Amino acid sequence: MKLELGFIKINDVQFSNECAVKDGILYVNPEDVKAFIYDNDDVKTYIKSITLDIAKPGESVRITPVKDVIEPRCKVAGPGGMFPGVISKVDTVGSGRTHVLKGAAIVTAGKIVGFQEGIIDMSGEGAKYTPFSKTLNLVMVAEPVEGTKQHDYERAVRFAGLRCATFVGALGKDVEPDEVKTFETYGIMEGAKLFPDLPRVGYVHMLQTQGLLHDTYVYGVDAKRIVSTLLYPTETMDGAILSGNCVSACDKNTTYHHLNNPVVAELFEQHGKTLNYVCNIITNENVYLADKQRGSDWSAKLAKLLDLDAVIVSEEGFGNPDADLIMNCVKQEKQGIKTVLITDEYAGCDGKSQSLADSDPLADAVVTAGNANMEVVLPPMDKVIGMLDYVDYCSGGHAGSLRPDGSIEAELQIITGATNEMGFNCMSAR
Amino acid sequence: MKSPHRIRIITNNPLVKTVLSDYYTIEYYEDLSLREILVKVRDLVYSGYELFTHPMAGSVKPNETMFKSIVVGTDMKGVEIAHCNLMMNALITCDKFKPLGVQYSDYHIKDFQLIDYTLLCGALDFDAIAGLSKANF
Repeated sequence: MKLELGFIKINDVQFSNECAVKDGILYVNPEDVKAFIYDNDDVKTYIKSITLDIAKPGESVRITPVKDVIEPRCKVAGPGGMFPGVISKVDTVGSGRTHVLKGAAIVTAGKIVGFQEGIIDMSGEGAKYTPFSKTLNLVMVAEPVEGTKQHDYERAVRFAGLRCATFVGALGKDVEPDEVKTFETYGIMEGAKLFPDLPRVGYVHMLQTQGLLHDTYVYGVDAKRIVSTLLYPTETMDGAILSGNCVSACDKNTTYHHLNNPVVAELFEQHGKTLNYVCNIITNENVYLADKQRGSDWSAKLAKLLDLDAVIVSEEGFGNPDADLIMNCVKQEKQGIKTVLITDEYAGCDGKSQSLADSDPLADAVVTAGNANMEVVLPPMDKVIGMLDYVDYCSGGHAGSLRPDGSIEAELQIITGATNEMGFNCMSAR
Repeated sequence: MKSPHRIRIITNNPLVKTVLSDYYTIEYYEDLSLREILVKVRDLVYSGYELFTHPMAGSVKPNETMFKSIVVGTDMKGVEIAHCNLMMNALITCDKFKPLGVQYSDYHIKDFQLIDYTLLCGALDFDAIAGLSKANF
């Protein structure tokens, strides 16, 4: 399967009377965007109001509570559309051509269920830890209709964010990209013929699937209902996998992360040179122990069936998913497939405690994405998009986290994407 | 919905008791802390009862939420070392997190109950949303 990504470099985002991409500037008419977002039954029913704002790198701006981040993209050739099974029809994506508004991001904010949303600072100490301080952010703050249940609100905000990204992404449809890159993986036999001497490598991509408000969607399917299965890596670039969860901010895989998965990017970088990138194996992180066994058994079975020599395994979350991470590792290693794991650590604020909730001697190649318990102090910002009401209660916060002067003392957990376990962060994974 | 036979839910979450009592065997301990629920389940697992759900389910940390529901077997099946390790690691992890000193409102406490309940429902293939309607939550 072959996909061309056309990167349109966005240097600025401005509110305007029109919606367009011209000379690297994204012009957005907020009323047009809102009208498109609201053309959805869930959004109409559960979201009382939407406010759009813009946050740029270097500004004294704090965005909180952040739910998701989405990169605006648009399919311009090939089957299907962005976010298949949710926004577009369920056609298989990952081939043809897709345009990317590189440098822009849609950030959704608004309190959903306590404790699990995060902070993006556009400058200062906090900006060092989140990749979304470097993007030009169109921020969508949603306010629920009174009495709306959390799960209904989560779904409505998810749809609203995806619709916002779809509308903005479509503005790049007829724009000539600044750069076009091609990504291609091959069928089993074809790949083996093309690269007979290169190690066959796969990516075991673990998805957060612990329950309502802890979900991830694949082609619109709640991934806790799936058994481990295969994806072409390029499918992820067209939005086949979506975040639908309200978990800790630091190691949540936002939809932006799924679209820009750094493991996929690095494996493509080495594809045909040092390795043969065969495919992705997606697997879940369920709560029921039998599901964990089934998921990791099937991941191992598929890797063996594909004659893989090595896999990279990334997880999402902490605690329960650590068990899946280790099960995936051990079962692959025991059948002779080398593994490298990517995780983050909850090693206490001094970094001296046990990092993971599970371990095994076979997990001897592990990349850390940082210690989520590390304490940081974030300076006050001139402007807050969203609300500060929940800072003390968010994961990583504590009583008095929000100081009277507007500064915040908290653990790294509270910063969106700070210890992302795909390695898309500013800590140690690269 | 998973079969209710040969399993029981050890919990300190009143929402779980309210919604799931009609369907599953619930052992409800109103006065036990999250850690004490872990200890209770650890002791059951150490004495040979089967563990069905992961004790660290959910992204909410053990120093944040006060609610925990875990599914264990009703029959002695023999000691499973892997399950013992899970419980031991869960307690080590629990003790690693320092108290936050936050005074939670009823609103926040209900959020914590909801999260624990929905995670349990996910594990049991139980329709969490229908259950909430029934409980008028």
